[in-house]
Amino acid sequence: MAESQAADLNAPVVGMDYHMHVQYHEVLCPVMREFADALMDKRLIGHKCPQCGLIYSPPKGYCPICVVPTDKSHELELQQRGTVTNYTIVTPVQYHGQEETDRFAKASLQLDGGGTLSLQDLLEIPVDDVRIGLRVEAVWASDAERNVDEVTNRSWGIGESAIRGWQPTGEPDVPADELPTNVF
Amino acid sequence: MFYCRVVGESQERLTTHTIDFPYTRTLGPVFSEFLTGMRDGKLVGIKGRDGKVICPPTEWDPETGDALGNDFVEVGPGGVVTTWAWVTEPTPKHPLDKPFAFALIQLDGADTGLMHAVDAGSIDKMSTGMRVTARWKDDRIGHITDVTFVPEAG
Repeated sequence: MAESQAADLNAPVVGMDYHMHVQYHEVLCPVMREFADALMDKRLIGHKCPQCGLIYSPPKGYCPICVVPTDKSHELELQQRGTVTNYTIVTPVQYHGQEETDRFAKASLQLDGGGTLSLQDLLEIPVDDVRIGLRVEAVWASDAERNVDEVTNRSWGIGESAIRGWQPTGEPDVPADELPTNVF
Repeated sequence: MFYCRVVGESQERLTTHTIDFPYTRTLGPVFSEFLTGMRDGKLVGIKGRDGKVICPPTEWDPETGDALGNDFVEVGPGGVVTTWAWVTEPTPKHPLDKPFAFALIQLDGADTGLMHAVDAGSIDKMSTGMRVTARWKDDRIGHITDVTFVPEAG
């Protein structure tokens, strides 16, 4: 719908606000539903490929590298402690709908015991101190606040509504050359 | 923006996605005249090469593709419904929040139809060939929704 135009009632109308708004609903697919249900129980789950052994979290229901299906029998619970393997510092541009105003980091994590997560928020650490090798642990939203609103069928990240983010454990950094190089 | 909730006895999780694109588009010389007319409470058409009046106005002659000049003419506010469809359940994006008709309205003085909403109250009040007239909003901004149409009195 149109928003208000220029205030000058005598000037020609030369532009038109056109607000395109699309809303749609979809049911979470079975593996994402299992993942969302586990998050509500403060558990982090993934599927381990029976062929190559890579762990996908959120689970996909298949290994895209080996092209083999995975199911509940390949499910395992991941540890909630890990290491930053890479990160991006985002400087928000104030476009329509941008809610962030300050710089923030999104990190890729290698979890202890296997499994990775991408696009995770880091808490309790200044953006400029974020580094590869940093040891972190999950900070869950409280029972009252925890939800899975941000989990979708196409989640790469899992949002911040269940796990608020990851905070430094205080352990010594892991040297970069000791970190795995896999994304998953 | 998403949210996800558990629905129904099956306990499926339903996600809702909302996508917003807040565009502003420039109107060009002809639509600018049309929507400036809207803002001022006037319906504006343009003369085609053959002298026929086109409303809503176009920048190009629909018959030949030739560029049209700036031969604008005021049309309406009354007109004739040439075809229509009844909208039983309006969506939030529709111009009226109660059942209405989308109609092709050939405004007095125009030779083409303007598609717009007719607030007739009920489907029984709609008929092809009926006369309608413009009902203007008080707070007009230069947008197609500044006007809706109602059946002509009498």
